[in-house]
Amino acid sequence: MLLLEFQSFLLDGLLNTLFLSSVMIAGGTFFAVIFAAGLSAQSGWLRGPVYALVECLRDIPLMVTVLMVYFVLPHAGLSLNPFWSSALSVSVWGGANGAHIIRAGLLSVPSGQREAALSSGLRGWKGLFLVIVPQAMPVILPPYVSLVTSLTQASSLGAVLGVNELLRSAQILIEQTTIARGGSPAYLVYGSILVVYFALCWSISALGAKLERHFAKPYQRTNGKTGLARPTVVLQISTT
Amino acid sequence: MDFAYILEALPDLMTGLKTTLIVSFLAIFLSCLIGLVGAVLRKSGIKPLQYAVTAYVEFIRGTPYLVQIFFIFYGLPSLGLRFSIFWSGVIALTAWASAFQIENFRAGLAAVGSGMHDASASLGLKRWQHSIFIILPLATRAALPSAMNTIVATVKNSAYLQAIGLVELTFVAVDRIAYDFRAIEMFASICVIYLICVFTISGLGYMVERRLSRPFGGR
Repeated sequence: MLLLEFQSFLLDGLLNTLFLSSVMIAGGTFFAVIFAAGLSAQSGWLRGPVYALVECLRDIPLMVTVLMVYFVLPHAGLSLNPFWSSALSVSVWGGANGAHIIRAGLLSVPSGQREAALSSGLRGWKGLFLVIVPQAMPVILPPYVSLVTSLTQASSLGAVLGVNELLRSAQILIEQTTIARGGSPAYLVYGSILVVYFALCWSISALGAKLERHFAKPYQRTNGKTGLARPTVVLQISTT
Repeated sequence: MDFAYILEALPDLMTGLKTTLIVSFLAIFLSCLIGLVGAVLRKSGIKPLQYAVTAYVEFIRGTPYLVQIFFIFYGLPSLGLRFSIFWSGVIALTAWASAFQIENFRAGLAAVGSGMHDASASLGLKRWQHSIFIILPLATRAALPSAMNTIVATVKNSAYLQAIGLVELTFVAVDRIAYDFRAIEMFASICVIYLICVFTISGLGYMVERRLSRPFGGR
């Protein structure tokens, strides 16, 4: 069995994929927060450019962004290796998509909640993180989890630049065995890799669903009638 | 930025764009068709078919598109299915887009109220008349915004096909960079071309949406 024979080689690739996608998820979240802050900035001078950048990133194919960062950044004097180059480009792309998710989530919280937070003496960051963000979470999480799976899948784009992640390992394995033994095992190797990626994305979705349930809990609907949070929510959070 | 160079490369880029548009158009057409059929199958009540469609959608959405392309182009030949680069590209793009279109149309079908069924029964419409004249237009209208998103994404995702050597827009640009090292010029031009394509399609979609969102009747 070819796959068992080259188990450790493929496992290395999987570990690299896991590391690369973790970097992309962390970086994507970082950029998403920054872009979301830029999109909801007071001054139009900041909001305009950030909006244009986010729209461009969302409308240009990810493949082009990845190649562009890899080929153009060296001209600007910043040479990144394939790993960090793909990590940067996919993170920025994830940030652009995440920014809209976060912004929509924050806007979904009724403005009365913000006023209530202010009147309870929770200003600025405190009010944002103790009152607004927990209530925005049920809106943010579902699309954000699917963004995280997209980012995990996008880590396979590293193979285009030559990062030694799972897809690249598979390519190397196929090339080598085709040369050494004749007959391409491509369908077997790519097929199993598809299954591995599927398992990975499935676990992420399952984790996300768990997280969603967690954030849905303290905001249970009263009698299933309204989707609005109870007014006691603010008190509950500020006392604990 | 060297505009003379961009002008010189423009004919090449346009041939690439042509391939991009042809592949995307074929994939969009096929995926909308498959999406509609798949969505209907998913509501058909035939359990094995429903499971098969759901499994297909989940699998395509849960795996990287790039690996799917490689599986179709490099993997299928050893199973006896050999396609040219062009048709591999069309198949891969269609397979990917179909999964999303099935979801879109399924949501569209779900948005049509069940009261419609009673209404058309009371008007004496036959089952097929009910499906074609009542459900289909309403479901398409409900599914249109998300279907347009997927259509735009299909055009964008045609860029992935450069990985198997399809000579489309991105491939042409990367190929020229390998010879001339004019990365900034090339990427600036293909970005602009992609942006124009995306804006044109979403603009068209918006127009269709506005036209369809007028209330029915009252002629």
